[in-house]
Amino acid sequence: MSTFKYGDEKIKSRDIMIAVPSMVIAIGIIVFPRELADKTIAADGWVSIVIGGGIAILLVWLVAKLAANFPNQSFLSYASYLVTKPVAIVLTFMFAIQGIIVSAFEVRAISDISHQYLFDQTPQEVVSLCFLLVVVYAVSGSRAGLFRLNAMFLPIIFAATILLIFFSLGFIHTEHLLPVFKTDARGYLQGTLASTTSFTGIGILFFYISLVKKPEKAPAMAAFGMSWAVGLYILIYVTCIVVFGETATANIRFPLIELAKTVEVPGGFFERIESLFFIIWIMAIFNTAAMAFDVSVIALNSIFSKVVKIKIILVLSPFIYFIASLPNDFLDIGKVGDFASYYGWGLTGMVALVFWIIVKVKGVKQSGK
Amino acid sequence: MARSFFSRKKKNKQSNQDTQQPKFSAKLKKSLDDNLENMKTMLGNPGDLVVRELMIGGLETRAAIMYINGLTDKNLINNNILKTIQLNLKQFESNVLDKIFEEVIAITDTKKANSMDEVSLALLNGGTAFYIDGMETVLLMGTSGGETRSIEEPDSETLIRGPRDGFVESIETNLALIRRDIKDPNLRFKQHEVGRRSKQKLVVSYVEGIVNPEIVEEIERRLKTIDVDIASDSAYVEQWIEDSFLSIFPQFLNTERPDKVSAVLLQGKVAILVEGTPFVLLAPISLGEALFSMEDYNQRWLSATLLRTLRYFSAFIAIFLPAIYIALVSYHPGMLPSTLVFSIAASREGVPFPAAIEAILMAVTFEILHEAGIRLPKVIGQTIGIVGGLVIGEAAVSAGIVSTLMVIVTALTAIATFSVPSYSVAITFRMLRFAFMIAASILGLYGIVLIYIMVNIHLVNLKSIGVPYVAPFAPIFVTDWKDLIFRAPVTKLTQRPAFLKTTDDQSKETKSN
Repeated sequence: MSTFKYGDEKIKSRDIMIAVPSMVIAIGIIVFPRELADKTIAADGWVSIVIGGGIAILLVWLVAKLAANFPNQSFLSYASYLVTKPVAIVLTFMFAIQGIIVSAFEVRAISDISHQYLFDQTPQEVVSLCFLLVVVYAVSGSRAGLFRLNAMFLPIIFAATILLIFFSLGFIHTEHLLPVFKTDARGYLQGTLASTTSFTGIGILFFYISLVKKPEKAPAMAAFGMSWAVGLYILIYVTCIVVFGETATANIRFPLIELAKTVEVPGGFFERIESLFFIIWIMAIFNTAAMAFDVSVIALNSIFSKVVKIKIILVLSPFIYFIASLPNDFLDIGKVGDFASYYGWGLTGMVALVFWIIVKVKGVKQSGK
Repeated sequence: MARSFFSRKKKNKQSNQDTQQPKFSAKLKKSLDDNLENMKTMLGNPGDLVVRELMIGGLETRAAIMYINGLTDKNLINNNILKTIQLNLKQFESNVLDKIFEEVIAITDTKKANSMDEVSLALLNGGTAFYIDGMETVLLMGTSGGETRSIEEPDSETLIRGPRDGFVESIETNLALIRRDIKDPNLRFKQHEVGRRSKQKLVVSYVEGIVNPEIVEEIERRLKTIDVDIASDSAYVEQWIEDSFLSIFPQFLNTERPDKVSAVLLQGKVAILVEGTPFVLLAPISLGEALFSMEDYNQRWLSATLLRTLRYFSAFIAIFLPAIYIALVSYHPGMLPSTLVFSIAASREGVPFPAAIEAILMAVTFEILHEAGIRLPKVIGQTIGIVGGLVIGEAAVSAGIVSTLMVIVTALTAIATFSVPSYSVAITFRMLRFAFMIAASILGLYGIVLIYIMVNIHLVNLKSIGVPYVAPFAPIFVTDWKDLIFRAPVTKLTQRPAFLKTTDDQSKETKSN
């Protein structure tokens, strides 16, 4: 069937630019101000975010540049070229596992937060199952569609956040900003570690860059997209600190949503908007979960190339649901989240470094598939 | 995939049909009586078939004209055929038919034919056949005419300011209306036929040099798969060739307004006209256009922008308001100001149902009223207004079945639905409203956002003739945003929509040229 040229699965560099912040912004940012405020004094945490964000942007650029060296080749094919086929298969598997864990974490975290802010009686299993089903629906659609979803939801998320920050202007206490630069080196270091690891999901670029038609511009675009996420993190963190103060932020479970609880929307139509804000945030979480799931599907599909995509999805989704239902309480969920981010950083960082060294030594194979 | 499978199956069927056709293409006989008799038999000797036997003036040869009453322009036949032939005093030595064709008949659209099939088709299209005794060839003259509706302002899309003409059932008139707007030699009318028995004309219209040729190819490829007996409206064609028949979103726009068609053709889209219906299909479309009206371009840009924003807002109300009411009242009363919660509780006092049942009850009632109002004659229509508005609204509240707030919500939703310019899009919104209401009654705001995400997933995968349905939003075409939610001043709207990937992208000569 002859189809119009829109119908193919190729995307533009600009879609990568949108996909990176869509992937990074999710559950992490809701809890992240707590962790950072715990380790730094007053608003000093922004330094940590800048350093951590800088490292993340660098990694994004490295990964994108590396993948862009091999235009239109799947991760498996260029990894096989760089580090023999068996190692490449193991690495692909590890990325697939990362995707599964991340999406399971998002699914579980959604049900946990909605239990607190939306409804306390509806069983969490139902909440997470419904969410997972929507994610499955999205992943079974076209891959280009997934990127279009990012483009549809990301502006809404940014607009909602900016509005939230705007409304909280009336609640700021500038004295919370002081004292400046009192954090010791150890605090900065820990803060940097916390903020760096909170930027999860960079590994998707290994897989998505290969879908870009002309990936020359993709590294710059991806790094630029990452800087949006870093900017948003800084804005949210500073707002949390000036509204709540350092000690309060360090003790609130979901500072970002509490921020929405504090503010008052003029007009008097809504009294508390934290549910509304969380509802909008679900779109961000959805994007992350869908892309993480999709990357697992791509990874497994590249290994088992004869299996239909929908079969992989149907096999994976019970796994994700199972992993999502493993943690007992929010502490366990937090541990899963930590594990996912450390695992992601370890894997992505290691692969990026090793591959870079090999590329420098071995050179780039120019012939495409 | 499913569509390609179906279309392939149908195509095979059609080719089988084609092989059975030749039994009609019998040649004409020499004898006049035989020919007339054969044609009468073929058409079943209907009461509206007129056969007029005559003598050609100076020749003393028997001849006959044949046409179907009511499809033809009688004055034309009487004055330009009958009279000229009967008064003809010339003598022809050889080839009478050719000479008559060249010198006697005073009708421009005249051609020769020699098969029964051609003659019958011409007759059924309002043509007139001219037989001469001893000839195996006839003349077919285009004399179609008869009663048609005159050009009126369309009821389905009224404008305050703008042209007042609308399409009619005659495709020739409709084509002329478009030609009058676009006097460009590149305007193309490609003729097809639809309906195995109705043999309706179908015209694909576009402007060569603007439209993306791949879109035209794709439309024509799909048109060839159509296999129906009759297309009583362009909706048949639409349903045959749409990208996804499972979608609740219309993938074609329909309009009765020539000005809209010409504006859209010049944007690089394609119009499909079908004989016998004033509704013209427009494709490819994107979601934003569902809320466009020609009025937007006929008002100054600030007013137009405000009106369009208002329409987006009312679309939001039409889809979400009852669902949000359900979610807020039954799941998240804490979100509302406490005074409002008290007044809601007070108005709901005595209502035995949960908010979800209450809302669905009222929404269904409204849908019934809406449907009844459309089907009734206009005279009785007012009764529906009284029964619906006063009796049900008032009585339901005083009987304690629904709360006053619910009546307000229903009424607001209803009015918002009517502000959507296109009826087929409004139906989509009504369906969505019920989906959101059900989701809200099960999972509150969470249910609403899940359905919202699902609708978005569906939309990003949906295409209209291969063009993404949510095009200017995703994939992003920033230049197209000038005419999306806002309507930039016309002096700034110099580019054709980028998402259509038109052949020439500028609608005006700009300074850079």
